[in-house]
Amino acid sequence: MTKLLNLSVAALIVVGGICLYADDDHEEHVRHASSFVAKPMTKQEKTSVALYQKECGACHFAYQPEFLPKRSWDKTMNSLNNHFGTDATLDPAEHKTIQNYLAAHASKYDRMTGMGGEIAMRISQTPNFVHEHREIPKKLVIQEAVKSFANCASCHTKAASGSYREREIRIPNYGSWE
Amino acid sequence: MKYLAIVSMFSISLMAASPDVVQYMNELSKTAKAENPSFSGFDAARGKEIFTSTHTGKQGKPMACTSCHTVNLSSPGKNSLTGKVIDPLSPRANPQRLTSTKEVKKWLKRNFMDVYAREGTAQEKGDTLAYIMKN
Repeated sequence: MTKLLNLSVAALIVVGGICLYADDDHEEHVRHASSFVAKPMTKQEKTSVALYQKECGACHFAYQPEFLPKRSWDKTMNSLNNHFGTDATLDPAEHKTIQNYLAAHASKYDRMTGMGGEIAMRISQTPNFVHEHREIPKKLVIQEAVKSFANCASCHTKAASGSYREREIRIPNYGSWE
Repeated sequence: MKYLAIVSMFSISLMAASPDVVQYMNELSKTAKAENPSFSGFDAARGKEIFTSTHTGKQGKPMACTSCHTVNLSSPGKNSLTGKVIDPLSPRANPQRLTSTKEVKKWLKRNFMDVYAREGTAQEKGDTLAYIMKN
């Protein structure tokens, strides 16, 4: 009997936990991001992540691959000679490793519905991103401490670990976003 | 004899680079000599001019190496597009610099493209490295 009770309490806690989690708004992408963090990585995967973070993170925030579908990443990786106006070319072997890593962890969702067939090159172009950030005043985005929507981590304090919860937001010269 | 002079001139400044980067500079030197018979060694003063002068970059806008790295190589720079902090270029301020030929080649190619909209010549690359080493 005690055993059964314990089990049901445990079940309740689990269900409660899930409800709490689901209750936190705007989490669709977070779940994808953290599921990739939580899964034990093979040695090869760890090398790929480290390479991705080193190479891409040298100039900008190393966006979680889950934010764009494979065809967006392929388009990006196939145009690194003119990557948003700069030369971001890589050594061929490393290029391949990074492209494979992005493809393996890309969003399973299209993410570009409503874009008229355009392939998003920027996460900030995707309808979900636009919707989530629609209320942010432009001056908070273009201020020197942020510069543009490309700098996830300037407001999402846990972005580097793949977490984008609303309660973790601290906008420079503004504060929390409630 | 001339080649010896080039090599010995190098060795003065080369303490600031790892042996494989030194080797890379020797290769650049040979290429520069082949491309220009009057080449007589890399020159930090020419490198400074390359590094600090403004050109029409890849985006068709005025751009200099210093747009991101600043004029003080011992200080951190900042990516002019993204705002990401760049560690100092000076090997004295940042011992990681000039320790990997792979990194050196990658960034010289990319950044010449960004600032000059063309890949630098062997002489230009060597001059730039000579300037970075002196700082």
